[in-house]
Amino acid sequence: MSPRRTPSGGRIDRLRTIRFTFDGTAYTGHQGDTLASALLANGVSLFGRSFKYHRPRGVLTSGVDEPNALVTVLRGEVREPNIPATMVEIHDGLTAVSQNRFPSLAYDVSAINQLGGKFISAGFYYKTFMGPVIGPLKGTRFWMLCEKIIRRAAGLGRAGHAADPSRYERMNAFCDVLVVGSGPAGLAAAHEAAQSGAQVILTELDPCFGGSANWSGETIDGEPAATWASDVVGELKTHDNVRLLKRTTVWGYYDGNTLAAVERVSDHKDTPAKGAPRHRHWTIRAKNVVLATGAFERSLVFPGNDRPGVMMASAAMRYANEYGVLAGEKIAVLANNDSAYRAAAALAKAGARIVAIADLRSDVSAACRTLASEAGAELLTGHAVIGTEGGKKLSGVKLAPFSATSGVSKGNARDIGADCLIVSGGWSPTIHLASQAGARPVWSDDLQAFLPPETGKGWIGAGAFNGTFSTAEVISEGFSAGRKAAGQPALETATLPDVEPASLDPNPAPVFEIRAKGKAFVDLQHDVTADDVRLAHLEGFVSVEHLKRYTTLGMATDQGKGSNVPGLAIMAEALGKPIPEVGTTRFRPPYAPVSVGALAAERFGDLKPDRLTPMHDWHLENSATMYSAGLWFRPMIYGGPGETIEQAYVREAAATRETAGIVDVSTLGKIAVQGPDAAEFLDRVYSNVFSTLPVGKARYGLMLREDGLVFDDGTTWRLGEHDFLMTTTTANAGKVMQHLEYFLDVVWPDLKVHLTSVTDQWAGAAIGGPKARDILASCVTGTRVDNEALPFMGIVHGEISGAPVMICRLSFSGEMAFEVYSGAGHGTHVWEALIEAGKPFGMVPYGLEALGTMRIEKGHVTGAEIDGRTSARDLHLGWMLSKKKPFIGSAMMDREGLAASGRLELVGLIALDNRPLSGGAHIVEEVDAANPHGSLGHITAACFSPALGKYIALALVSGGKARHGKRAHISDPLRNRFGPVEIVSHHFFDPEGKRMHG
Amino acid sequence: MLITCPYCGPRDVSEFAYQGDGNRTRPDPASTDAEAWSAYVYDRLNPAGIHNEIWQHAGGCRAHLAVVRDTLTHEIKSVRFAREHGAPPHGRRTSGAKA
Amino acid sequence: MVEQLSPLEPVFRPGSYGNFVDGVGVTLSEIAPGSIVQLAAWPGEEKKLMATIGSVTGLKLADGAGAGASSERCSAFGFAPGKFLVSDASEGLATAFAGKVTAAIGTITDLSHGRTAIRIGGPKSEWVLAKLFAVDFSLTAFPVGSGISTTHHDVFTQIQRSGPDSFDLYVFRSFARSFWKMLCHASDEVGYEVR
Repeated sequence: MSPRRTPSGGRIDRLRTIRFTFDGTAYTGHQGDTLASALLANGVSLFGRSFKYHRPRGVLTSGVDEPNALVTVLRGEVREPNIPATMVEIHDGLTAVSQNRFPSLAYDVSAINQLGGKFISAGFYYKTFMGPVIGPLKGTRFWMLCEKIIRRAAGLGRAGHAADPSRYERMNAFCDVLVVGSGPAGLAAAHEAAQSGAQVILTELDPCFGGSANWSGETIDGEPAATWASDVVGELKTHDNVRLLKRTTVWGYYDGNTLAAVERVSDHKDTPAKGAPRHRHWTIRAKNVVLATGAFERSLVFPGNDRPGVMMASAAMRYANEYGVLAGEKIAVLANNDSAYRAAAALAKAGARIVAIADLRSDVSAACRTLASEAGAELLTGHAVIGTEGGKKLSGVKLAPFSATSGVSKGNARDIGADCLIVSGGWSPTIHLASQAGARPVWSDDLQAFLPPETGKGWIGAGAFNGTFSTAEVISEGFSAGRKAAGQPALETATLPDVEPASLDPNPAPVFEIRAKGKAFVDLQHDVTADDVRLAHLEGFVSVEHLKRYTTLGMATDQGKGSNVPGLAIMAEALGKPIPEVGTTRFRPPYAPVSVGALAAERFGDLKPDRLTPMHDWHLENSATMYSAGLWFRPMIYGGPGETIEQAYVREAAATRETAGIVDVSTLGKIAVQGPDAAEFLDRVYSNVFSTLPVGKARYGLMLREDGLVFDDGTTWRLGEHDFLMTTTTANAGKVMQHLEYFLDVVWPDLKVHLTSVTDQWAGAAIGGPKARDILASCVTGTRVDNEALPFMGIVHGEISGAPVMICRLSFSGEMAFEVYSGAGHGTHVWEALIEAGKPFGMVPYGLEALGTMRIEKGHVTGAEIDGRTSARDLHLGWMLSKKKPFIGSAMMDREGLAASGRLELVGLIALDNRPLSGGAHIVEEVDAANPHGSLGHITAACFSPALGKYIALALVSGGKARHGKRAHISDPLRNRFGPVEIVSHHFFDPEGKRMHG
Repeated sequence: MLITCPYCGPRDVSEFAYQGDGNRTRPDPASTDAEAWSAYVYDRLNPAGIHNEIWQHAGGCRAHLAVVRDTLTHEIKSVRFAREHGAPPHGRRTSGAKA
Repeated sequence: MVEQLSPLEPVFRPGSYGNFVDGVGVTLSEIAPGSIVQLAAWPGEEKKLMATIGSVTGLKLADGAGAGASSERCSAFGFAPGKFLVSDASEGLATAFAGKVTAAIGTITDLSHGRTAIRIGGPKSEWVLAKLFAVDFSLTAFPVGSGISTTHHDVFTQIQRSGPDSFDLYVFRSFARSFWKMLCHASDEVGYEVR
């Protein structure tokens, strides 16, 4: 066993050895170890290099506030950077590497940055790189030159390129009481809330419930605190109404008492359980929240306070008591409050030598003196550490007399050999979640820290979060918070548990910094020194928010958990103001880094919602190339062997015009408009009249928006007196539904109309071409389909191959065409029957490309032309604007701007150079490839027209009709395509509609 | 943010679609008052504080809701069915008037 | 009569999947009712509509949002003000209501082809559904028989609690296959049986 490992104690399992590697070296640890505790036990002191100066850094804390010991965890090719070693549980096969060093952690060439420290102080980037470009090496141009080098030298871990194969998932939870933190306060609160029968969730960010009870060394009602904690947890487990979530960090507190948490389900395992996610994101809606998040111990600001071997006193105590690891063998102590004394005594008991205790206070309590002598330590009151020695590892500290009023007196400095310096600079309650929830922190002169306000909206605090540090009182607060949160009356007399030993005074001397020669760090993770803060003040920064941004203090991945208060204190001193007047920044989510995978969860590949038509599988089996249209998948072409897309759609469109073609139109939006006022409602929402439409007929309708521009188009079928089936474009189905619902609910609630999305109820097949009617006649039973029974825009009901169908004669392709609707569950059955019936006639299935080609040939508009900027008249649909009634958009459609000349109007274009045109290209009078200008409009859709044998396009062109017959050019500099076109009518093909009417 | 739908109960904001300022007044459909129409179509109140809003419970019962919300704190003061209360004046036409 | 083709057909494979070594957490199945209709009452006519549902299906609906009931053959629940989803193991429910739900009471919309009904049952049903929906599935908040409307991403879903450990999910047919895959994926962790 390693010399740093204590023979007994803690919650690690010494019988279970775990093997892992750090920077390629193999180490062993025990079940229960973190990467930090296991490496400390192996005598490792150097964990990483600092952000800016590449200074050697060790491990400062034992938890989520760790600023120094950030590592990258590797899983195969997948890298997860910037994880505190204190938060990584070791498991067999764990592979971790250090960061921000080259070529290795021990020999880092960029460490030379330490020498140039003066030049890369606060604001270095702004001063050096921002501003006007003057000369060759100043300003933005210089930045562009240096960026790559600087980005590489300054920074943290590197993200990987490999796709992360892990599973992530999201979970929703509801509870009466959410208790955040499972230290003595949280456990007490959860216990009381659970007793009342409330639904309780208890979260703990560590792998083990209990918080400080696991290492405080106290006894609660005669039992070791850790036993007390595990007893409470054991009891909570027996309650059905309690959910216990360990390894779960509550990272966000949002309005409506919605909290966000991430549970690290599998990070501590070599292989996750089958189907288990790596991280599970919890969205918790809690009626009440108990914040029992504890407090962080702060360091002090003194030269060399970042040397590996400098550690928070409570962390060293925790390593000894919870993990059985000694942070050093010869330990010195620096304190401005009593709590470090207990750590010193605990470390001495665990086998370390406490060489000296330097206390900034001139006098200390009797309790401290007793603990100091228990620890066998020399007690130096009125002393400070003014420097540290050692390279990659602490070898000694320099002590000197100190007083809060006159500072350091250097005359009597002395050196003491030590391999570890434990520090306590006071405690900052972990008020982050309360601050996120909008609570304004209150400064406590006693604790020299910000406390949460006494009560919050939706939450109740307990324990060290409230600034309460006596364990007996902490538990009592937890009990009453739990009762209150569960809606139980408070107990009349609170009985305090019996906690031994008695608590110490956590209130520190109001000293944050020991000013002496050398770099003294405030924010270790971002390498912000006390001098940087003062420099910011000298340069005129007054607001704490500006200070933060200028120096980047508190902006690293630890979000300044340990550095905010000292930074503020130094700023306050520079400003000559008391700390509360300088203020604090509001904490924002996340409290701790959250994996992007957990936030995104899984919504890709098979887990992305796809909409499939009833005939989807048939399309795939029949060589369709699918195309995603919104969430829908539609056939683009049914390509033959070796066919290009253009060859395929030209063949499909030509065959349709020659004999017949069939296309899946199930994606069209379909809305059942039902009720006695349905016709009246349609008259109000469509620009044309529907109340006159007879039952059994369909009509093409146009909808405008309130602002008078075109919104959507489609046919609406009158199936009964009070029963209409409206169709919308595929893309606008949802928007149209919402638009109609809004008017019905908010504007015209007096109308008796119900709207239901029936898009999915119907499968739709459009069959068109000269042979379409013959094909239908050969397979439809129960109705005739001749011109008399089924005139243009007529509707009949019948059967195809035993399945009921509804057939409407309408045309998008310009051919004699029919839309055959059947129940979606019969869609493939009916489709296959139609395909079979079409075979003798040479009918082809066609995809979206051919559909688009035929509509361009006919000059029909779609979303490319109905682009939210065009009016009905721009699209030559003015004839659809009823003058007999007002409708949505009628009041605004005749505004000057919408009636002005020179608006972009729909026209057709024919390429005169017989080359393809493309959407987005601009139309100009004269080509000027070097300086494209003078746009008359743009192309909205283009294709090769088999009917014309030419490349054609629809376009929106200023002047429109007046330019018919004129020549112009297309200018498409992005695709380097310029060429002559002729502007023509948008009705390229069969303008009289003879084919459609048959 | 949670919105308590009068039908469905408290639901996550992700189920709701914001449908705009609830203070607008739709002119009479036959009105040719360009200014009134312009105000209705384009003008929106954007107060820092209490605001009348229309939300649709699009991912639930699909009802439109008249929501009174504090835009500074996201606190929701009241939620009612828009069709029953029309909370703020909504220029609803007098019943029975046909276009 | 031509049978309906299930949208789940190519992905519906009976068997046990995922982490089922310690028993399956949930069972997934397609209900495939013969008919599904949506009934909607005009304001003030809700009681008459509920009485009509009772006379046709034999199901007694309590007052209140989301109230519902189910029997061996039929189920009905409210999912929006004045609106109910009713299903029957046999076809022809829309015809059964025609003439009974008069124009004065409300409207009938046949959704027999438009919605796909999936049942999830078993001790981990609430856990699996909580991954997909931001809804409280606890028995107190969501009692047996009652229904809700909610959404998973873009997939609008109506859910009826058909038993203490069992839920019937009605999704748009076009989304059904995607939704089924998501449901299976979410059930992996607890082990699931398709039947």
